[in-house]
Amino acid sequence: MAGNAVGLGNFLRFPVQAAQNGGGAFMIPYFISFLLLGIPLMWVEWTIGRYGGRFGHSSLPGMFDKMWKHPAAKYLGVLGLFMPLAVMVYYTYVESWSLGYAIFTATGRYWGNDTFASMSSFLAGYQGWGGADNPFFSGISWAWIMFAITLSVNVFVLSKGVSGGIEIVARYALPALFVLAAILVVRVLMLGTPDPTQPEFSVSTGMGFIWNPQLDQLSDPGIWLAAAGQIFFTLSLGMGTIHCYASYLAESDDIALTGLATASTNEFAEVVLGGTLAIPAAVAFFGLDATRELAQNSYDLAFAVMPALFQKFPLGQLFGTLWFGLLFIAGITSSLAQGQPLLSFLQEEFNYTRKQAALMLGLVVFILCQPVIFFIHHGYLNELDYWAGTFGLVILATVEIILFAWMFGMKKGWDEITRGADIRVPRIFRFIITWVTPLLLLIILGRWAIMELPAQLMMEGVPEADKPYILGARIVMVVGFLSLCLLVRQAWKRRARAEAESEVQA
Amino acid sequence: MTTGGWVFLTIAWTIIIGLVAFCYGKIFRGTTRYE
Repeated sequence: MAGNAVGLGNFLRFPVQAAQNGGGAFMIPYFISFLLLGIPLMWVEWTIGRYGGRFGHSSLPGMFDKMWKHPAAKYLGVLGLFMPLAVMVYYTYVESWSLGYAIFTATGRYWGNDTFASMSSFLAGYQGWGGADNPFFSGISWAWIMFAITLSVNVFVLSKGVSGGIEIVARYALPALFVLAAILVVRVLMLGTPDPTQPEFSVSTGMGFIWNPQLDQLSDPGIWLAAAGQIFFTLSLGMGTIHCYASYLAESDDIALTGLATASTNEFAEVVLGGTLAIPAAVAFFGLDATRELAQNSYDLAFAVMPALFQKFPLGQLFGTLWFGLLFIAGITSSLAQGQPLLSFLQEEFNYTRKQAALMLGLVVFILCQPVIFFIHHGYLNELDYWAGTFGLVILATVEIILFAWMFGMKKGWDEITRGADIRVPRIFRFIITWVTPLLLLIILGRWAIMELPAQLMMEGVPEADKPYILGARIVMVVGFLSLCLLVRQAWKRRARAEAESEVQA
Repeated sequence: MTTGGWVFLTIAWTIIIGLVAFCYGKIFRGTTRYE
């Protein structure tokens, strides 16, 4: 499960979220979210998954239906199909950049360019919006081919089953990624002030940007939503993926220690390693203003900074190739988990074979990702990442914690959490899950809805030229969600028909 | 980085590294069931 949690979120998304939301202002809500939302929800999701698996369900519509006897429950569970699909659509594309950069590093394609202007230009050229006079790329073909290869790998592995090759790969690739990240962290910390003529361009300034607490910004609900969203994104909470994996556990298998180990391993990768890489290096090389500018797009920061770092590293080409290659594998383990809930749903409810379901999923992701690739410079990817990768995860987490603590009932819920536990779960978490987590989520959502939702919906601050694309992204998400609702409705009709037929036969 | 920054970093890293050590200590030492 750590393979699912550790991924692009740790090394690519976290630095951008921290930089976008004021660095030190972001980290306090981030830690509060980890302790009061992340850990409790991790246990809740493992519990829901293991409980649902007992009834043969591997996706949330069926699990919610078993937990709450209400016709609406299965439709709330649609969130657990929609979120991982929506995230997978753009995550697979970002994942493919790692593959592209592994190849560019191995071949030395960007070597000799280590300034902010040149690395930004390289990334923009790769993403296809560098213009006709981009010195590195003449079009988007590289990015498109890397995406096609990445998606094909995902579909192939999904069609074969996750327990085979990818688990073995993840077992070795993830520790290797950790070791490599630790080596890079040491190198970053040794950078000091690379250009003595610009003393403010330093690792110390970068670390200060993340860690100097800014208490005056704690009242901003947008920062709280972003922090909670990042915790959920990085721990794969509010996505339906943990439920899916947990559904394969036996009734008495431990979930308490496993859940806590997954969460803490992921936080180590994100905060201790990820937090000491991209931002301090970016500030040391490019300065604070350029770092903030790079953080305007959801995943750009590390792709512009890390190549500059590798060029100042002994055996940099080797380390860089390994880094992006391992990041690609870490991304694959996460995107496979994102594909799993819909795959299981199609298999269980519509009797498709694994291969058929994987091909259908691949086709859907392929089609839906095309606007992400071609309209990225109009904010299409950012829009998906905001609504699905931040807001959507918080919504699903809120729904499931209320369902678990209040509909399913906390007495039953606590018995389920502690069943087979390999650690003593502190009893305070019973109170936290019942009261603190739901209330904190409702407060974050409520304040955000009052103070920021209108501006978000009205696209305030969005350039006029980008508005049609943003609107298009929203329409695609709404249509996608409604289509999945129809699919669930169809599945339950089929199930009712099958039950009626078996009763007649009996 | 300010003193406040160092304090915050130290607390955060201690909690995370402590949790990792606790979990993997349990996993590698073998565990006791708590039901």
